[in-house]
Amino acid sequence: MSKNVFNSVNLFIAFQYLVARKKQSILATLGVLLGVTIFIVMISFMTGVNGFLDDAVFNGSPDIVIHQKPDKVKLKGLFGTKTPVLQQVSDIATSLGRHDNVKGFAQQTLSPAILLSETQQLPVSINGVFPDREYKMVDLERRLVHGDGFESLKDENAILLGVSLAKRLQVFQGDELRMILPNGRNHSLTVSGIFSFGISTIDNLRTYVNANTLQGLLENESGITNIHVKLKDREDLGLKNALLQQYGGIIVDDWMDGNKTIVIGNKVRNVMTWTISFALLLVAGFGIYNIMNITVIQKRKDIAVLKTMGYAGKDLVFIFLAQSFVIGSIGSLLGSFFGYLISYAISLAPLETSDFIIVDTYPITFEVKFYLLGASFGILTSLLAGYFPSKKASRVDPVTIIRDI
Amino acid sequence: MILKAEHISKYFHNPKKHRVLNGVSLNAEAGELISIFGESGSGKSTLLYILSTLDMDFEGTLEILGQPTKALSQDGLTDFRNRHIGFVYQSHFLLPEFNVLQNVMLPALKLGEKDNQALREDALSLLDEMGMKTFADRPSYQLSGGQQQRVAIARALINNPVLIVADEPTGNLDQKNSMLIFDLLSQITKERSKTVIMATHNLTIQKKSQRLVEIIDGSIRL
Repeated sequence: MSKNVFNSVNLFIAFQYLVARKKQSILATLGVLLGVTIFIVMISFMTGVNGFLDDAVFNGSPDIVIHQKPDKVKLKGLFGTKTPVLQQVSDIATSLGRHDNVKGFAQQTLSPAILLSETQQLPVSINGVFPDREYKMVDLERRLVHGDGFESLKDENAILLGVSLAKRLQVFQGDELRMILPNGRNHSLTVSGIFSFGISTIDNLRTYVNANTLQGLLENESGITNIHVKLKDREDLGLKNALLQQYGGIIVDDWMDGNKTIVIGNKVRNVMTWTISFALLLVAGFGIYNIMNITVIQKRKDIAVLKTMGYAGKDLVFIFLAQSFVIGSIGSLLGSFFGYLISYAISLAPLETSDFIIVDTYPITFEVKFYLLGASFGILTSLLAGYFPSKKASRVDPVTIIRDI
Repeated sequence: MILKAEHISKYFHNPKKHRVLNGVSLNAEAGELISIFGESGSGKSTLLYILSTLDMDFEGTLEILGQPTKALSQDGLTDFRNRHIGFVYQSHFLLPEFNVLQNVMLPALKLGEKDNQALREDALSLLDEMGMKTFADRPSYQLSGGQQQRVAIARALINNPVLIVADEPTGNLDQKNSMLIFDLLSQITKERSKTVIMATHNLTIQKKSQRLVEIIDGSIRL
């Protein structure tokens, strides 16, 4: 007598039941398949979209910006045209270099200026950057519409422009611009590259020139005005508090301050995705529950006979759970496969965007963990759905059933 | 002594307490065929379920092969039935998902003492004995009532039990098939020295039975 319920005989019986009710088995399997497929597609798609938005927004801007608190007294009479210079730059840099969560940081000199083209003149803010540090902070190469990236700023008379700004100034790559600074100095610059982030505030306003050029022009009033920091873990903002405690007179802005809507949007999308996906799996689970339940009710006689023959309650639990497991496994396996196919198809579909030059198809994330998650939830739901009917089967009392016939 | 039942009483509690069996005692030896008869509601089916260990909710003692059945756990009882008791019911109760051969093999597969090849040969020889060998690969639902009952007898014998319990085995069959089934059961009793206990309404069978027990109002008429 085999004591272990996991044996070839019970498997054989479970298999026979599955095969004998092909239609119902296939239907139940399709239910799981559908649940897992949609689960995977939705998660992959939503993660893709979130990732894309994160990429678009956070890649173009730093996670943390450190700048000086404006000195009200000093600023009087200067018409607010001067960006305050950051004190304690080297101390802050040392602190940043020591902090675990810092991926990289770059110093900038910011100054308001007026840009003159042949036909237009616009007030802008000039970002003076150190090209060999800044290229680690902003992935500009992928976003170039024309020309070169930070590399071109090694030429001290080069300027990089956002695509909308270039349009408004009516300039193209290679054109000349005149930059007039608040101290009256002016300087001739050549447009060496035009970039597009797909975010109007950046494309409309941002300019990059070499920080040395800008500092040279600003003379004794110049210095580092901002430090941009990229974090390893963006969610961990412990650094901000640490800096604020250690240094007085500075302002520390983090990415959340500027991107609340995107953060909330991501959260809402995540909640929706998971809710809908789980609801679908739940429906699939109910499908299995229903079918197994009906089977147990229809097969009460057979279950009674199996019991008189010497099949114990636990054998019957196993026999019916095994059926659920097979349905769940096949459904999950096929669901993962179709989930991949559909995700792949979506990832090939062209996405028409005018400004987002970093994407030309729909963003989809392919991650093994989503497939494992979908498949294991599919199997788990099936097992749960099969558990109660199988318990019911094990409690069938052969005497009552046989007496009734 | 194969079976020894002493002072068996049984109560039904629904809708109100009601005594079905009233201190029944019954012994059965190997090679004995016992026909139990009585009117509907006399308690003969209830007695049969108790004697076959399916119903354990009774007063009195039951020993099969010297084993007091009340001493066995639920799982122990299941195993005990599997090994020592064969069942034949009024309705044929073959499992429609399995073919004839598989139906016969099911109790032996559970017992798991022989490999599949040996079991197959055992099952085929039993089917041959019942005149059903040519149907071995048929789906069981394709068989007639008499044929199904013969397969059911083969199934009851597959684990070589000491006791065969049959509840109205001919209840759904015509006279010709009824006599065929009865002859098979008598043959098993004699040639294989089994104990067969069956409930029956069939008068011819009652007349031909080696030992006849009548139940009236939950008691055996002596």
